[in-house]
Amino acid sequence: MTEKEQKFLADLKHTDANVRMAAWRQADQMDAAVVPELATLLTAEEPGVRKAAGEALERLVHSVGKSAGGQKRGAIVKELLGLLTEKRPAAARIEALRMLSLIGGAEVVPSVAPLLAEPPLREEAAFCLERIPEAAAIEALLAGLKQAPDDFKPRLLAALGHRRAEAATEACAAAMGSANLEVAMAAMKALARIGVKPKAEPQLPNMLAMSDWQRIEFADSLLRYADAQLQRKNYEDSLRIYRLLLTQREEHLQCAALISLSKAGVPEAAAAIYPRLSSENNTVRITAEKAWAAMQKAAQPKA
Amino acid sequence: MSAVKPDSRRKFLRQSATAAAGASLFHIVPSTVFGSQDRPAPSDRLNIGHIGLGGRGRRFLRPAISATDRVLQDPNLGGRGERYLRPSQSIALCDVDSNRLDEAASKIGGKPRLYKDFRRLLEQRDIDAVFIASPDHWHALMTIMACQAGKDVFVEKPACNTIEEGRAMVVAAERYGRVVQVGSQGRSQDAAWHACKYVRNGQVGTVRKVTCWHYENPLGDWTPNAEPPPHLDYDAWLGPAQWVPYNERRTHGRFRWMLDFGGGQIRDRGAHVMSIAMWIMNQDHTGPVKVTATGDPYPDGMYDSPRNMTVTYEFKNPDWTLLWAQPGETPPELPAKYGAKYWGDNGSVVVTYGDGQPTDTEDKAKRYQVPCGGVEVYRSPGHAEDFEDCIKTRNKPIMHIEAGHRVASLCILGNIAYALGRPLEWDPVSERVRDDEEANRLLSRPGRGQWHL
Repeated sequence: MTEKEQKFLADLKHTDANVRMAAWRQADQMDAAVVPELATLLTAEEPGVRKAAGEALERLVHSVGKSAGGQKRGAIVKELLGLLTEKRPAAARIEALRMLSLIGGAEVVPSVAPLLAEPPLREEAAFCLERIPEAAAIEALLAGLKQAPDDFKPRLLAALGHRRAEAATEACAAAMGSANLEVAMAAMKALARIGVKPKAEPQLPNMLAMSDWQRIEFADSLLRYADAQLQRKNYEDSLRIYRLLLTQREEHLQCAALISLSKAGVPEAAAAIYPRLSSENNTVRITAEKAWAAMQKAAQPKA
Repeated sequence: MSAVKPDSRRKFLRQSATAAAGASLFHIVPSTVFGSQDRPAPSDRLNIGHIGLGGRGRRFLRPAISATDRVLQDPNLGGRGERYLRPSQSIALCDVDSNRLDEAASKIGGKPRLYKDFRRLLEQRDIDAVFIASPDHWHALMTIMACQAGKDVFVEKPACNTIEEGRAMVVAAERYGRVVQVGSQGRSQDAAWHACKYVRNGQVGTVRKVTCWHYENPLGDWTPNAEPPPHLDYDAWLGPAQWVPYNERRTHGRFRWMLDFGGGQIRDRGAHVMSIAMWIMNQDHTGPVKVTATGDPYPDGMYDSPRNMTVTYEFKNPDWTLLWAQPGETPPELPAKYGAKYWGDNGSVVVTYGDGQPTDTEDKAKRYQVPCGGVEVYRSPGHAEDFEDCIKTRNKPIMHIEAGHRVASLCILGNIAYALGRPLEWDPVSERVRDDEEANRLLSRPGRGQWHL
C-alpha cells in the first residue's frame, strides 16, 4: 500500500469529521488494496468512522462501475470477493454482496452461489445474483432452486420471475406441482412473469387451500400469462383466458380482459368485447367503450 | 356491501376446485373461482381503505360522519372550498404500527376494520378505493397489489423508489383499468393552474429554463440501533427494502433523509415542485436526455442525503433545462421557502410550493384570461375531488400514475447521478441510461423475502 493510501485510511479514522469526509471524497483515487481495511472499518466502534468507510467503499465501487472490464474494476471485484469468507463479520460480507451486485459479472457467481445455502446470507446472495445480468447468475439461481429448502424456494422463484428468465420456464412449471402451496404459487407467479409457454401443461396450485390473497395473485398470474401469450401472438391461449376472466363477477377482472382484448386485433376479440358495451356495471361499460374505441383506432389504416 | 355468505363461498370454491383438479393450467378454470360476488360499482357512497396512518395518512381519513353529512376536503389538497366531497367513509385502516392504527381508529369513530397486513385490507370486496401513505419504499408494491385487487388508488408522492417500480405501477394501472392518482397536489391548486395557462399561452415567450429552489437537507445526529418497539412490526415496515438494523431515526417520518428509503428533499419536495414544472411544460409523457448532479454531503450523522445539491436536467424537443437547486436562489418577485421560476424569452413567472403550503403565483398570471382560441387548461376541483370524479368517469386523474412516475424519475435520476458522481445520458423512451452499466443496475432493486414486483 502506498503512502497516499495509508494516509487515506488514517484520515478515515480521524476524530475530526471534516477530515474523514475529505478523505472519503477522495476514495475514487485509491487503489483496490484499501478494500480489506475499509471492510474492517465498517464495523468500527465510532459511528462516524463506519460512515466514512461505507461512503469510501461506495465511491470506490462507483468509480469503476460505468463499464464492464478494466483492470481496476477487476481488482476491486477480487478484493470484494475476498470479503465473503467466513472470517469476516456479517456486516462486511453483506456490504460486499451489495457492492458486487453493482459491479460484479459472471466472475463473481462461483463465489456468491454457495452462499444461497447459507441461511444468514442467502437473502443477500439472491439479491446479488438477481442483479447481475449475465446468464451465469440465472444458472446459479436455478441450481440453487434445486437444492433450496421449501421456505427459500419462493425467494429464488421470485428472482427468476423478476429476471424474466426464460431458461427457468420448465423449472417453474415443475415447481407449480409442489405440495407446498407457497412454492406452487411462487412458481406460478414466476412463470406468468417469464411468459413462455411450458412444454407440458403444469398442474394448478391447489385452489381449495388458497387464501383470498392467493386467489387474487392467481388471477393476476393468469392475466400476466395471457398478456405474454398475446405478445407472442398465441391468440388461442390468451383469448381463452380473457374469455374466462370476462365471466368473472369481479369488475376489475372483466376490465382487465377488455383492455387486453382491445390489443388483440382479431375478430374474436371484438366479439368478446361487444356484449360488455351494454353492461349494467358503469365501470365495465366505460372500459368496454374505451376498449372498443382503441380497437377501432388500431384497425384504421395508417396514413 | 358484499352480500355473500362466507360459508357458501367456501362451498362454491370447494366445488370449483374439485372440478378443476387435474385439469391443465390456463385451460379449465371454473367461472367465478376468484370471487363469488359482484362488487357494486361506486355510486354515491365511497368505501375507503387507508394504508399508512402517519402524519400524512391521517389527513385522508373520512370520519364516520362523512358517510351522511357533507364535508369539505382538507384545503391542503387544493380544493377551492366550492364543492363538497362525495359521501364516503373510512371503513378499513392498516398500519404496521399498532399505536398509529389505534390513534387513527379513535379519530374517525365508527367501527373501522383494523389490519396490520395490508393484503387483508385489499381482500375486502366492499372497499372501492385506497389511500396509500406508507413510506416511499412501499408505494409501488402496495399500488400494484391494490390494482390487482381491483381498487382505485390515491398514492402519496413520490410515486416510487426506482424507475422499474414506476413503470410497473403504470402497467398495473393500465392492465386493470384502475384510477391511480399520485399525491402531488400542486396541480390541483389554483395558483399552479393560473401559471400553467399563463405559460402555455406564451405570456413569457418560449420557456427554455425552469429553476427550482429549496432549502437544504437536515443533519441527523447519531442514534444507536436498537430493538424495534413492540408496537411496530419492523420486518413489515422494511418490506421489500434491504435489511438494516432498526433505528428510530430511520423509520416513520425520518426515513426520507436516507437515500435507500426516502431520498431527501429532491424526492420529498421535488415531487411537488417538479410535478408542476412537468405539467406546465407539458412533459408528462417523457423525460430528460441528460442528468448532471453535484452536491455536498454532511461530514457526520446518520443521514446520507446530501446537504446541498444541484441537478441539471436537459430536455430535447422542445429544448429546455430544469434545474433543481438546493438551496438555489429565492426569486425576489415572490419569496418563499421553495418553488420554481419559469424563464421565457419574453419574461418570467414564479410558482411557489405546490404542496400543503400556501401555493402562489404572480398577480399577472392570476389576472390572465385565456383569449378565444387560446390554450385551455383543465382546472382540477381539488386533488381528492378530481380523484373521486375519475372513480366515476374512469378518466385519468390530473396527477395520473404515468405523470407521477415521470416526476419520480427526475428525483431518482438526480440522486443516482449524485451518488455515482457522473452525468447520466438518459433515454426517456426505453428508460435506460446510455453506456453506464452500474447506473442501469440502480434503476431497479430486487425485493426482499416475500416482497417482489
